[in-house]
Amino acid sequence: MKRFQKNIKLYVGLALLALASSCKPEITKEFGPDNSSSVNFSKYIAVGNSLTAGFADGGLYLEGQQVAFPNLVAEQMKSHGGGEFNTPFFSEAQSNGSGYIRLAALENGRPVTENVTEKLAYTAPNVLAKYSGSEIHNLGVPGMRLDHSGQGIVSAANMYFARLLPDTDLGRVSYQDFVDNRNHTFFSFWLGNNDVLGYATNGAVDDNPAGTTALTSVAVFKAVYTQFINKLTANGQKGVIATIPDVTNIPYLTTVTRQALLDAASQAAGTTIENLYIATKTGPRAATDQDLFVLPFSSAGLLGKPNTQQIPYGFHPLNPIEDKYVLDEAEVQNLRTHINELNKFITEIGQQKNLAVADVNALLSRLKTGIIYNGVAVSSAFVTGNAFSLDGIHLTPMGNAIMANLIIDAINAKYGTKLEKIDATNYRA
Amino acid sequence: MRKLLYVVLLACPTLAFAQGSQVNTQGIKALGMSGAGSALFVDETSIFYNPGAVVKTTSNGISIGATGVMYRSAFKEVKSNVQYDTKFQVSPPFSVFATFGPNNSWWKAGIGVYTPFGGAVNWGDQWPGRFELNHLSMRAIYIQPTLSFKITDNFSIGGGFVYNLGTVDLSRSIPVFDQHGAPGKAELTGVGTGTGYNIGVHYHLENEIAISLSYRSKVVTKLKDGDAEFTVPSAVAASFPNTKFSAELPLPGSFNVGISFPVSSKVDIAGDATFIGYSIYRKLVFDYEDNTPVLTDTEQDKKYQNALSAKAGINYKASDKFSLRAGAGYVYTPVQSSYVYAETPDNNRIMASAGFTVNLSHKMDLSGAYTFQRITERTTQNVVTGLAGTYKTNIHAPGLSLTYKW
Repeated sequence: MKRFQKNIKLYVGLALLALASSCKPEITKEFGPDNSSSVNFSKYIAVGNSLTAGFADGGLYLEGQQVAFPNLVAEQMKSHGGGEFNTPFFSEAQSNGSGYIRLAALENGRPVTENVTEKLAYTAPNVLAKYSGSEIHNLGVPGMRLDHSGQGIVSAANMYFARLLPDTDLGRVSYQDFVDNRNHTFFSFWLGNNDVLGYATNGAVDDNPAGTTALTSVAVFKAVYTQFINKLTANGQKGVIATIPDVTNIPYLTTVTRQALLDAASQAAGTTIENLYIATKTGPRAATDQDLFVLPFSSAGLLGKPNTQQIPYGFHPLNPIEDKYVLDEAEVQNLRTHINELNKFITEIGQQKNLAVADVNALLSRLKTGIIYNGVAVSSAFVTGNAFSLDGIHLTPMGNAIMANLIIDAINAKYGTKLEKIDATNYRA
Repeated sequence: MRKLLYVVLLACPTLAFAQGSQVNTQGIKALGMSGAGSALFVDETSIFYNPGAVVKTTSNGISIGATGVMYRSAFKEVKSNVQYDTKFQVSPPFSVFATFGPNNSWWKAGIGVYTPFGGAVNWGDQWPGRFELNHLSMRAIYIQPTLSFKITDNFSIGGGFVYNLGTVDLSRSIPVFDQHGAPGKAELTGVGTGTGYNIGVHYHLENEIAISLSYRSKVVTKLKDGDAEFTVPSAVAASFPNTKFSAELPLPGSFNVGISFPVSSKVDIAGDATFIGYSIYRKLVFDYEDNTPVLTDTEQDKKYQNALSAKAGINYKASDKFSLRAGAGYVYTPVQSSYVYAETPDNNRIMASAGFTVNLSHKMDLSGAYTFQRITERTTQNVVTGLAGTYKTNIHAPGLSLTYKW
């Protein structure tokens, strides 16, 4: 019996020891640390438009700014020599910035949204409170176009840009001037989307006198892009650039379909409506499933409305759906060809200048069919796809994290660094 | 949501999983030899290991045992250095075996109540696989009445009917978010039942050799009217109604061969090999009573393969009152690399064990065992969920049992 007691103590002791020491396994496999000193992340700046700024849900607001892809990337750079990365955040008191839309309900799987109107940052209509704070590194300006980036007038016209400048600079300082002379060591550059997007989301109709709906020609695009990149790499800095997504794949243009409109119209009219008529550059015609309608059209309340001749809107060639609401098949093809040319150029200049190239266009193509990310279905479907925010153009926080991982992969692939990936499931859809 | 069943089948209770690919904790003596000993140990636990041997027990008895299974997994996503660990939990599978009937007769009866599954794994809701699984805990209780007959003095057969009563509780995050960015949650709880059988033959020549052959049938466990509850923002609450679900889980059958022989008057060696028919587990289907456009029935591929395990051990009778034993084993995983899920981050595993039995009195003995298993590190990407990373798992399981004979 004594022997037994002695033994049981031994066993219990061994058990406790084993429990304490090795119950928790350690995975020793390490990603990095990299020993490449070729890249200096100490001062990273992010140059770009709304996607760089963290615009989402139809507005720029604090939550979106905090999860802008450059901010997520900068966080990962910190363990690899990255320095501080400041963003012109809205204050807590004005955290809803420009205002945005949020989901109020899902009705039959369709989103119903509402405007957020409290805690805004306006000091007057279309004037946002000035940002005051330390030097910023996220230089993204919503609405910025490549073809406007050298024009001083834009700093007066764009309230997001005006917010970042003293009044004396407005109308004088261009975006390129704004970005210049920052002594950066690394940059991301993602401009050019709006040079295509503004045109596409206006049904390929260029009718805005401010030039926001123009399609930038390939020649101008190449010239300004080269000029901008030359400035950013003047001291041999390294950086990452990104391709332009095929905008005809985004929910803003893929959600409202001909069939959905016909179904809704037929139900409202109490009779089957067979055809929708659209205005095109070559005259009115019946719509096909290859024609894309812009997202706001479904709630514009125009369809079926009779004109002065009592012809219902959209149901007859004599009162067709206006050109600006439809990106017709021919326009889709033209845009795709155009975007392909731009992307070919971006890839080329990336190689030429030894820059990492993140192929966002390829990512978006994958999202069109959909991917599964850590158990979450992510696609370019509106709302249910988790990647695009409620405006159908900009990304959700989760979409931003996936985007940031694409940027990180591109940097790692080009420069042999070992920036860690981001757990995108940490970010809401 | 789709994981429930699957989970029921496999999750962390892998260690305790009865179907044979892993160590069974039903008998503390066998546990001390990493699961070897179906031929060697002829006692109440034979009801589980080989019903054919029950009739060879020389007295009636009741044996009560419990094991503290500590299953710790770690995960590191690819291209990341952040390690996530399952929360520390002890799951206590228990067993009760009793034999009845005349001693040294041509027949004997017995009953076993044991928990071939029973365990918990909790990754929490802050890890990269949160949309695959947060936590799972489950308990399956097998009730097995058994009859065993002697054909000759050396050769006996037996069989038992198995009734399975299982409970499961699992949760995972779902990708709908409140205004603070927190994801929703799905919680599934249910009770399932299934039936099967357990048969075996045992042959021995005194002081020469013993051979055990046994077959445990598959147990198809059906869950009906389980509760599915969803915690989601009110904006989408109508799309996630709390509802019922049903699912079906095929637990595989297994065929076990055991052999033992003495190498001296005090030392016996035993070996067991088990073939497990896991390939019946192809996919897991969840059928929700209420479906909405975003809550649809799910079907998830599992694509298990048949598996094999081999265990060997040595038993040393130090005195009339005291025995010591040790063993080791190797298990080939049924889980294909592309189908590793967080519920069972399985891979081939190695195990080592030690144990003892002490006779407290003429009628009572106490057995203890400790087993350690290492599920070898596995880096993989799941083709269904896309989750890619490295898993590593350690399992510790101390156990004790008390037997009273009359």
